[in-house]
Amino acid sequence: MSDNSTSKDKYFWHNPLAVWDTKGRKGKVESIPVPDPATAWDNHKQYKIKTYKLGRLKHYHIWANHGERTWKRIRWWPTRRNLLNIRGKYNRKTLIAEKKIMDRRPIYWVLCLFILAIAPFLFPESMQNSLLTAGAVFGIFAAINVCWTLVLGTASIFSLASYAIVGVAAFITSWLSIQYGLPWWYLPIVGTAIGFAFGGIIALPAMRLDGFYYALLTLGLNELCRVYFTTSKQFGSASGGLYGASTYINPDWAPYTQSLVSYYGAFALLIASLFLFRFTNGKRLGRILKMAPEKREAFAEACGVDYRQARIRIFLITSAALGFIGGFYAAHYRGVAFSIFSFDTVLLGLAMLAIGGIGKAEGAILGTLVVVFLDKILIEIGPIRHLMIGTIMFGAVLFLNNGFFGIKQQFNAWRDKKRGEWRSARTEKGGEALPEEATEIDDKDRLYMKRFDKVQRDYLKTLITPQIMEEHRAQPLGQHSEALERVLLYFRRAEMDDKYALHRDGPTGHYKLIAFSGNRGVSPRVVDDKEYDDVDEAYHAVFVRRVHDLMES
Amino acid sequence: MDITFILINALVVACIYGLVAVAVSITWSSLGLINLGYGFVFSFGGYGAYVVSKNLIDHPIAVALAGILFGALGGIIICALVFIPLHDKKNFTTRGMIATLAISLVGSQALLMYFGPRAKSLPELFGFWQVRLGNIVLTSDKIGIVVCSIAMLSVVIFWMQGSRRGLEIRAMMMNPHAASIVGIGIRSTGFYVMALTGAMAGLAAVLLSQTYFISPFSGLTPLIKGVSIALCGGLGSVRGAVIAAIILGITEAATSRLLGGQYVLITQFLVIISILIVRPRGIAGLLDKGREQ
Amino acid sequence: MSEILRIQGLSAGYGPLRVIHDMDLAINEGERVGLVGLNGHGKTTLFYAIAGLTGWQRGSILLNGHQIGRTRSQGPGRYTHNIVRMGLSVMPQGDEIFNGLSVEDHLDSGAFTKEAWHNRARRKEEILDLFEPLRKLLNTPVGQLSGGERRMVSIGRGLMTKAKLYLADEPSLGLAPKLGITVMEALMKIDLDGCAMFIAEQNVALLEGKCDRVIGMHAGKLKGQASQALSLG
Repeated sequence: MSDNSTSKDKYFWHNPLAVWDTKGRKGKVESIPVPDPATAWDNHKQYKIKTYKLGRLKHYHIWANHGERTWKRIRWWPTRRNLLNIRGKYNRKTLIAEKKIMDRRPIYWVLCLFILAIAPFLFPESMQNSLLTAGAVFGIFAAINVCWTLVLGTASIFSLASYAIVGVAAFITSWLSIQYGLPWWYLPIVGTAIGFAFGGIIALPAMRLDGFYYALLTLGLNELCRVYFTTSKQFGSASGGLYGASTYINPDWAPYTQSLVSYYGAFALLIASLFLFRFTNGKRLGRILKMAPEKREAFAEACGVDYRQARIRIFLITSAALGFIGGFYAAHYRGVAFSIFSFDTVLLGLAMLAIGGIGKAEGAILGTLVVVFLDKILIEIGPIRHLMIGTIMFGAVLFLNNGFFGIKQQFNAWRDKKRGEWRSARTEKGGEALPEEATEIDDKDRLYMKRFDKVQRDYLKTLITPQIMEEHRAQPLGQHSEALERVLLYFRRAEMDDKYALHRDGPTGHYKLIAFSGNRGVSPRVVDDKEYDDVDEAYHAVFVRRVHDLMES
Repeated sequence: MDITFILINALVVACIYGLVAVAVSITWSSLGLINLGYGFVFSFGGYGAYVVSKNLIDHPIAVALAGILFGALGGIIICALVFIPLHDKKNFTTRGMIATLAISLVGSQALLMYFGPRAKSLPELFGFWQVRLGNIVLTSDKIGIVVCSIAMLSVVIFWMQGSRRGLEIRAMMMNPHAASIVGIGIRSTGFYVMALTGAMAGLAAVLLSQTYFISPFSGLTPLIKGVSIALCGGLGSVRGAVIAAIILGITEAATSRLLGGQYVLITQFLVIISILIVRPRGIAGLLDKGREQ
Repeated sequence: MSEILRIQGLSAGYGPLRVIHDMDLAINEGERVGLVGLNGHGKTTLFYAIAGLTGWQRGSILLNGHQIGRTRSQGPGRYTHNIVRMGLSVMPQGDEIFNGLSVEDHLDSGAFTKEAWHNRARRKEEILDLFEPLRKLLNTPVGQLSGGERRMVSIGRGLMTKAKLYLADEPSLGLAPKLGITVMEALMKIDLDGCAMFIAEQNVALLEGKCDRVIGMHAGKLKGQASQALSLG
């Protein structure tokens, strides 16, 4: 029907109980034209808000279930640990049983490490030598940065002393090797001991200082080492460094073999540091440290975590590892130069971490790859490559919250924020759920109830006129016209949450307006201070409030 | 006689590095940014003064002004590139610091590529006269440096206490959220702070060039020394920075006279480390009054 | 009788939480409007939305005819200083003071327009007349004052400039009853010539009889005579 009001003529509503009515209320009421309820539904059928295609992308590979066969899982013998985190689940739409890989990162790690392992055989012939040496540098510095990430990221202690530890260990082991002729496999072990001792030295001030103050202390230590080693004759102040330590790369081999061995030696070092990272960061020590970052140790302490001991432990472990790397460095390059102590090296190290993302091992490795590539391989471009490194570092820090590997988290946070805002922009006040919200709600009855309620209210809003307000004021209870009756029936069946009611203190007291809380045991709240003597007046006040809320919703 | 010589040298060194230290302190406490780009601002100011002295006017006041102005310009560039985009984002402290480091790297390389690696010199600002006080000879450049630094510092402090902008900067140090409620624009105040501190670094560059030459990386040592002094004196406290500057100036002068120039860094850092161990927040660390990290 | 503040369709919230849903409100010149409601129902969010300090907001807010509401979701407080300079004086909940500055510096910081800065000595006198206890405390850092004195400093700071709209968020929060009455009286003494005042308060008794209008706020929605647009009385 297209016309807005019914084509009935004026008629009267009669109250059959009027004969027995003692209060003398009206027995018949004139009708007021009422629009056809069906029009509200007809209007509503056209959905005015722009809708989008639904459905979510299936990001992860999901493959079919094993059906009736038993699910055999590959495990790391002798543990019961699985290869990948695979879960069986049921598709929400089709209810078919599926399998889904929850965490795909081990796959990526294996792929990337495999590519790194076979990289020497993929290098072009012309650049083989430079690429292999750059690859060795990459391996060593990536190992240093992974260990540095343990301190900087997991323990969130701002220590700039990593390269100093490596340098000190490298220098002392080279000197020992030159003086006493120690074989090459002694060097990393001695380096570990030196690193351990150094770690003890820098762990103690860390208990007292924090933040940038500790960074300054470590920077000062860096400078101290630099000045000491640069000016002492035993450590080769005349020649810019020490040379002549014993090495595992036999000089009698062909140059290509030497480069290959050095590359794989550095690669093995990187794998070892990754193992260290995994077994520190991923286990209890890492968890404790992540629980007690700087300035927020009180909570961890209240939970019974001894964060001081944990921090000392991480310092000792990382410094020992860095000492090992220092010894390896000496054995690899047959010595060490002073440049390892310069501020530039620390700066580049920070650049590597910032580009990849502080706190993740993959970030450290990616950052090192980028910087070493720019620094060592594009060496023909000249000093402009430092400009490029600086620009990339600046861009990474400017646009990314946490380096390259923080992009996914950053994008998801931004997308959730925007999605929430777009939704709140599109929802009508108190309207029905948006299609994308509808897929998230499992109980579809609620969705329909929302929709039904919205249509009802839209229709009732058209019914409210000053006449029915007057009609109600004159006679709150009793026979009403069709329009008023429809409105009253809607109000009466509203839910208890925030429903208006009357409160009377005592059998002869005044009436006050209250609102129910809707929760059991929670007392209603007083809405207004006005007191009414006459109950009809009070009924009308309740009605007015309910109408007001209806019009506002 | 020796002691007075040491003291005078100490004062001169303290003045120059003290300027950079106060700049770092003010920037940190009002903006929450550790500006490690002062090395670049330093060199930028120095090169600006050099360009002006070679191509425009040779007069000392013009050269000094040019250094100050170019230093302020450098500070504004860093503010625009680092502070404005990042100040309300996540991890602002770390990201800001690394961004200023990156600008320092890029800027120094750019200066190197444009001006070449050879060091440049600025004309003598203070002439060649001397003053005799009994046995002590005070050369003009030493007097000039001390007088200029103290003048600049006094102007800065007076301005911060007296003017509306200074009040805004001090208010931002305490509570940046409340600052916007009283009409203090964080970004415009940031420009003022960075320009002011950049000007201080530029002046320090011009003053230091009386003894050393201007080169693209000449700002690195003053930066490290300035940051050390600022941290030693307590980030956020101008008073502490001045005290720490004097202490470290004495250390530097005494060491270079008694032990030799190469041990200066060692003794200085030993002094800093001992101070920090005794007072973990620096000499006048603002634990309760100002901004905590 | 112009409208000092007109809000239409304002929605605001923090992150995924939407606190205010499509609100309409109008305040006329010379009006003192009270806003009552329990904690957590959006009173402070409404004030913050006018000042631009919420997580995100959308909707139209007209302050004396100038549009200050904008669809914004980044950087709460980014444009607040511009909005404040257009004639908004905010006396936030919980004072928001500068810990190390003295009382006199605080009052000075409230004078952010050129005209107010030049006349600040005179205005300071007027405010010290209003809040006598502050006279002896002019040089004390505000971080060392008691709660009541801090509240007086915060409100005094908000009164230093002649603003178009004064927003006072729970002026009597956490104060002893006598102090609360003193603070309220000070607010009521201000002459609203060409401006308006909007006070949020949990204690309805303090507003009784002193405000032209009292609006309730419940779950982000206004109840009461919120806007002239309503055809129902």
